Amino acid sequence: MTDAVTSTADRAAARPTPVVEPLAQKLAAQAHSLAEQTAASSDALSAWRQAALAQLARLPFPSKKTEQWKYTSLMALDAGHLVTQAPDHANAPALPEPLAPWRLVLINGRFHADLSQLPPQGVSLTRLDGSAEAPLSIAEDALRTPFAWLNSAALQDGLLLTVADGVALDAPIEVLLLGSADVASHCHTRLRLQLGAGSRATLIERYIGQGPVLTNAVTEITTGENSDLVHYRLQAEAADTLHIGSLILAPGRDSRAASFQLMQGNALRRNDVRVLMTHSGASASLNGIFVGRGSTHTDNQICIEHRVPHAVSDQLFKGMAGDKARLVFNGRIHIFAGAKGTNAELSNKNLLLSPGAEVDTKPELEIYNDDVKCSHGTTCGQLDAQALFYLRSRGIAEPAAKRMLAFGFVNELLSALPDEAVVEWARPWLERALTEAEHA
Amino acid sequence: MLEIKDLHASVAGQDILKGLNLSVKAGEVHAIMGPNGSGKSTLTNVLSGRDGYQITGGQALLDGHDVSELDPEQRAHAGMFLAFQYPVEIPGVSNLEFLKASLEATRKAQGKEPWDAVTLLKKARETCKQVDLDPQFLKRGVNEGFSGGEKKRNEIMQMLLLEPRLALLDETDSGLDIDALQVVARGVNSLRSPDRAIVLVTHYQRLLDYIVPDHVHVLAGGRILKSGGKELALELEQKGYGWLTDQEDAPA
Repeated sequence: MTDAVTSTADRAAARPTPVVEPLAQKLAAQAHSLAEQTAASSDALSAWRQAALAQLARLPFPSKKTEQWKYTSLMALDAGHLVTQAPDHANAPALPEPLAPWRLVLINGRFHADLSQLPPQGVSLTRLDGSAEAPLSIAEDALRTPFAWLNSAALQDGLLLTVADGVALDAPIEVLLLGSADVASHCHTRLRLQLGAGSRATLIERYIGQGPVLTNAVTEITTGENSDLVHYRLQAEAADTLHIGSLILAPGRDSRAASFQLMQGNALRRNDVRVLMTHSGASASLNGIFVGRGSTHTDNQICIEHRVPHAVSDQLFKGMAGDKARLVFNGRIHIFAGAKGTNAELSNKNLLLSPGAEVDTKPELEIYNDDVKCSHGTTCGQLDAQALFYLRSRGIAEPAAKRMLAFGFVNELLSALPDEAVVEWARPWLERALTEAEHA
Repeated sequence: MLEIKDLHASVAGQDILKGLNLSVKAGEVHAIMGPNGSGKSTLTNVLSGRDGYQITGGQALLDGHDVSELDPEQRAHAGMFLAFQYPVEIPGVSNLEFLKASLEATRKAQGKEPWDAVTLLKKARETCKQVDLDPQFLKRGVNEGFSGGEKKRNEIMQMLLLEPRLALLDETDSGLDIDALQVVARGVNSLRSPDRAIVLVTHYQRLLDYIVPDHVHVLAGGRILKSGGKELALELEQKGYGWLTDQEDAPA
């Protein structure tokens, strides 16, 4: 074992009441050992990995004693997910139909050019595999979770997409991220998108896969002045997978960014979304649908930071939890002292589809100036018994009637998806996810 | 078609129906009238299978089958239709989507030929016109933001498309202006046929000017107090219910 591990262990030991420390400690040691193996390799990304490794050593590993991890246990990782690397798949499994004319395929974090349709002129693609220099993370201080640092420290492959100034793409770019393994293991996926000034692009991130594989995902998006971004984060992996992801979005001056996050629960799903409003005139719109099924766990932590005046953000997230599923939502709006004229809204609405399901939702506002418009609200309810009876009295069987009402609950979000291909994907996806949510 | 024998029913532990008898044959139109709180809505709710309405005695038979053994959707499949007194608003589910699911499930259960999307849309549009409802309403959420009259016409539209064998109309006339009342009445009358039965629950004789019943019943205190022909409705209009319910209250 190395110095870095020892130093973390020492720090942990120095803390007052180490109730759940053993697991966190064990996982931290595994993460370090894993990161060190990669960080030692010498290539164009070495400095990047070394810096991340140092950060990883400094951060305490999450335990349920940490407020941000209160509702999410990492016990599921105790099966050795951080020890074993998910295999490189020599033979590519069957892939689903693309959602866009340009599709980049990553399998267990590794880019497969032969399975991909490369993006058009005006978009450059750089592989983050150490073969070329790449700028450090767009916002290192934004990568606040140990898993994001682990992603950087252990990075072997990833994609950097740059859309040149003034380029307007008339169709989306899809990045398909497949995670698949038969044994408890992990993969890291890394994706960075940079939109140039005055450009327009749509990115579809689609996560699929099965098996006890932990996908540790980091996506960073920066957009240039007066640009337009549509972003989808579709997380449709099977229920036995694990996913811990970070999304960092930093919109440029006078730009417009819309992000749609559609996901179904799995053995462990945790998303940390951080939106940095650091340019005036920027607007960010975040929408999402979360479906919990079986005994799955879905935790979304969203934080919007308004650091400059006159930026706008709105968020609408809807969750539905069936069977014994659990949904956690924490939506934080932080308005800094200088951010006058900020307009920020947050709404999280949840529907419990069964008595065994659970939703924990919390809005947080932190406001340090008076000249702002800010609203937030969260609700949690169940299916309307009157509406259910109405549908059944018209001959619609109970399960179908319930699905219909659940669809109705999120329909405003579905019908607002700007790309037809995604809508056509989303409707059957939701139908399946809701059907799975019924089964006890 | 519908045989109700000594039916007792309670809501939240309170007895509402106390030995109701009613026999409705195919081809007939029955009107059930009565004062507030007499059990009229309880009757339609019990028949259609709404949660919370408990049959505590007697039985209601639809074509010889005990309805209490059927789920609400199975009652619909058996040909029963309830036009709601207060139709429910369901935002996010379009009227057309709802009709499609309803007709698909019901027609399948009834062994009728399914309608393809084009036929469904054509029929739905025609029926909208029949009840004076703008076909644009098909795209809107079920009853979402509809006026009282529009909701009632939407009920009649569903009824006409589903072609029930037994239609129960729970105060469909309440809150309607005279034009809407006529539209509703036309819709109901167009459904009249020798193999269908219609039960109208209403406060007012007014509706019966447009839908002429074969039988009129007075429901009070959870029982049918008096039955007669259409002239009974006129008598009630003149005299009110007092003369019947007073009789009932008097010591035997």
